[in-house]
Amino acid sequence: MSFGKRKRHYKDIKCVFFPDDVENGLQKVGREPTALSSVSSAKSWKKCGDSFLDSPLMKNLNSSGRKLSAIRKLAQSPALDSREDLVNIAWSSSGSEQSDNETQEQHLSRGVVQQQQRPRRPSRPTAPIQSYTRALRMLGTDKDDLPVIDTDSDLDESEEDVDEDSGQQISDCESESFDEKPEDLPPKTNMAEQEISGYASDGESFGHTMTSSRLDSESCPLLTGEGSKRSVSDWVRSAQAMLQTPQKSFARQSKTPEDSAKKRRKFQSGGLAERLNRLQSRQRSAVSFWRHQSISDASTATVDRPGVLVLEVLEVQEECSMQLALCEHQRPPGEGHQHENPVSEERARMLVLFNRETAAQLLPAPRDIIHIYPPWQSLSIEGFSCDIILNTHFSQKVFSASKLANTSTPRGLFSAERCSPYSLCQTFGLEDACRTTEENDAKQVAALDALCSYGGSGGLTRHCLSLLEAIEGLGQAGSVGQDVEVVVQRVYSIPVPDCSPMTILKPRVPSRSSTTPPSAEKGKTRLCVLVQDSYGMFSVVQLHLLPHKDDLHQYCRMWQGRTCVLTGINVVQRVTRERRTRLFSLIDSLWPPVMPVKDHGNTPCMSSESRSAGPAPSFCYLLSGQENSVEPVEGHTVSPLYLPPTTQTLRDILQTELKSCRCSFIATVIYKRILQSSDVGQGEVCLVLTDPSLQEEQPERPCRRTVALCVNTSCVLTSSVLEALKSPAACRMSFRDAIREHGVVLCVEQSVVEVCPVAPEVNSSARPNSHSQSLSEPEAKTLPQPVRLDPVSPEITPNSLCSLTGVIVGVDENTAYSWPTCNHCGSDNLEMLADRAENFLCVSCKAVVDRPNTRIQLEVFLSSSLTNCTLKVKLQQKTIMSILNTAALEGTEFPGYDVENVLGKEVGPLAVYVRVVTRKPALWIGLEEISL
Amino acid sequence: MRSFLPEVAEQLFQDIQKYKNTKHFVFGPCALQALDLVDQCSVTCLSSPSGRKAFQVMGGSERLYTCFVSCHYCPCPAFAYTVLRRNEGLLCKHILAVYLCQAMGVTQQDSVSDQQMSALLSGTAAL
Repeated sequence: MSFGKRKRHYKDIKCVFFPDDVENGLQKVGREPTALSSVSSAKSWKKCGDSFLDSPLMKNLNSSGRKLSAIRKLAQSPALDSREDLVNIAWSSSGSEQSDNETQEQHLSRGVVQQQQRPRRPSRPTAPIQSYTRALRMLGTDKDDLPVIDTDSDLDESEEDVDEDSGQQISDCESESFDEKPEDLPPKTNMAEQEISGYASDGESFGHTMTSSRLDSESCPLLTGEGSKRSVSDWVRSAQAMLQTPQKSFARQSKTPEDSAKKRRKFQSGGLAERLNRLQSRQRSAVSFWRHQSISDASTATVDRPGVLVLEVLEVQEECSMQLALCEHQRPPGEGHQHENPVSEERARMLVLFNRETAAQLLPAPRDIIHIYPPWQSLSIEGFSCDIILNTHFSQKVFSASKLANTSTPRGLFSAERCSPYSLCQTFGLEDACRTTEENDAKQVAALDALCSYGGSGGLTRHCLSLLEAIEGLGQAGSVGQDVEVVVQRVYSIPVPDCSPMTILKPRVPSRSSTTPPSAEKGKTRLCVLVQDSYGMFSVVQLHLLPHKDDLHQYCRMWQGRTCVLTGINVVQRVTRERRTRLFSLIDSLWPPVMPVKDHGNTPCMSSESRSAGPAPSFCYLLSGQENSVEPVEGHTVSPLYLPPTTQTLRDILQTELKSCRCSFIATVIYKRILQSSDVGQGEVCLVLTDPSLQEEQPERPCRRTVALCVNTSCVLTSSVLEALKSPAACRMSFRDAIREHGVVLCVEQSVVEVCPVAPEVNSSARPNSHSQSLSEPEAKTLPQPVRLDPVSPEITPNSLCSLTGVIVGVDENTAYSWPTCNHCGSDNLEMLADRAENFLCVSCKAVVDRPNTRIQLEVFLSSSLTNCTLKVKLQQKTIMSILNTAALEGTEFPGYDVENVLGKEVGPLAVYVRVVTRKPALWIGLEEISL
Repeated sequence: MRSFLPEVAEQLFQDIQKYKNTKHFVFGPCALQALDLVDQCSVTCLSSPSGRKAFQVMGGSERLYTCFVSCHYCPCPAFAYTVLRRNEGLLCKHILAVYLCQAMGVTQQDSVSDQQMSALLSGTAAL
């Protein structure tokens, strides 16, 4: 941007600063901007404030509105594409021809005044546009008077970085259009806007050959027409620029953690806050862009650029969330760039102030070498031997001492010593009046320092205690710089759909169909931990792939319930309750915390007044890390914040009033059935569970005898569990954090299934504390044999078990058939022998089958105590045998049966599995007899 | 190491013109809000016949906060949290606004009775 040009013509401008100057009389305040004294500027600031105060409402509306839009135009047009516009609009009056200027200026101001319908003497050589531009420059964008901190001009100076420059423009454009778009929309034709847009175009055309007579004769509608046309095109251009901007989302993303919590509010238009806001957003995007670039070409450290401070860090202290580093200057800055306070002598010491974000990015530690790129600013304080460097947004660590010596301490992150809080009993003097008392104060503070070492208990191992804080201060690449101390509430694993790293970021697991191509990664699982910090905030950390699924239990033993330190983690995603209901059902089960959480106050003594835990958090972060990202803190056994899963009886779970909850229990699997897929562990598995609480006599509140549980594909079953499930015998298993919702129990992503050892006391499993005691209680009772089942009822749900007694009323003849099987191995894979038609060769056991067993499939309709209901049961072989004439089956020739022989026979009680329940048009239940 | 930030802040206020763009670097996010308060002329300096003074800042939620002349204190939650508890900020936006208004000379002046002033300073009055 052509600030150089601006600067050249600056002295020519004669302008007034603020509306009340215009009102109250002729007051030329033109002066050289570079020589602006603080007094005069303060005065004009004051005037700015006064003008808002004093002017009546109407006038204020007019003038400030106009002013704003003039500023807006000026600010916007350079951001778009035409630098010429800027010069024309803002500086045409002060253009190169001094001779023309006087008269033209007058004319302009006159025209302006007439449009404003405000009487004014024509001799006043002022133009609002100029003055406001000047004001903007002075207060907001600060380009010229301080070359040291001049962002844009510095960027221009480093001409080799064309991208950087355009990045600046892009960011300009973004912030402008983002904030101001509504006003620029043509349909919003409020009068002031129209006039103002007229102004802008006036100013522009005036730059060519606009005369006052033309301005006078010009009718307002035409002007506004032009103006609105122009603003439309402006808007379109800005929209285009927005659409084309690749850095936009990047920049905005980077500030999300900070901004999301903040309420978006509108600042007073044209006010200081708005300007600062604009400046900040520009600076933010400039910084993030710069960081992005400095990361990408970190190898080419351009130390030779003028104005770069090369500093060696000697000491770091943290003060009010900023970091103050005592540094030693390594080399004088390059020639050609003279700062206001040039650091000329070699090896000079200086204090460098890093704000929170920069410090989190930079992690300054003693013996690091840090480059600070301009625009930085130095501040000298009376009584201080060294300068203080401010505005260190563009800082880069080029040599890390800790990285070089990272032998024993893997995360030897130096943490700055925290400074004691400053004394509140002294206010800051605005003049030199309180200088002497201030010096006393400094001594006092120093003395205080010696007395109390704040947070010094941990010494060097001070970790961040808040996840949110660590995430808030995270660096550009999404990596959390600080170590965070958390308690591991749960350890579980999730299946990895395939080896693509992108899908890891989206842990929603697609249900595996049988067509999924098998790969090496297939069946791999990823270790996850659900952690909670001492403020109650949760996060899920996705860790490394587990080589064996069964390793999960080892990590459970190592981590669950322990206080651990998270290092080297990255933020993957921020998830909300709405998006991840399952995860939050687990978090809800851990809420409220066992002990009152901290209230984001740092001192431990505050815990007494910590509030009662509010509602459970509505969001959490998904983080990712490596195997060594979680490290248990030495000396701690079980964190007091750990909330172990409480094992309930199935009866308690069924009778709970909650609609949806997480529950943990130990139960016996009496029946399992694999849905969808042929292999256990691939598809969903349906289990029917029971436990002693359901089997015992239930006099007071009858309850179901069995519970159906569906193991989702997203729940990883370890190989020992799979083995147990494949075996026909009933087995006891513990289920952790299963979900009970809508009367169904599900095992999903965060659930962990484990095989229970037979002997109760051998249980040395995952949970380090009270869990094992609580589970020994139901263990004492044993299940009755055979297991009691509910009688079939109209309310029965699919995938459950019930017992059935009834009379056969019909046979499904379409599905009834028989087939021979091998009498040795039971295989039905038989081959007909060529010579003897009734003998077979078993393919499986290679034996000649001379007396094949005949197996029969038979489905019958039963009538039972349940009226108005069709019950169709697929019978098992032994029941079929019992209702048929068994002797006939042993003959060589299968005789066939009459339906009449079967009808009227009573069967049962049978244990049946409910396959289908149809309620309309009439209740129809499809059952399958099973053996328990 | 001793504490440096108060001195830095003080120097900044003294050279407010020169370092006007450093405010948000040193004071962080509350600089923006403080400037908004300045824009809205929210700072009033109350003085009583007895010569006592106090500042009143109209917060964003239309609440009046009384800030003292002689020490840093503001009854707002942000001060209690950021400054007192966490030691993460030098000032809250209200006190910063008082300083900025003073430095720019845009503080509104108002006079109250001695009785009102004493009630105000003792925290018993909602003026």
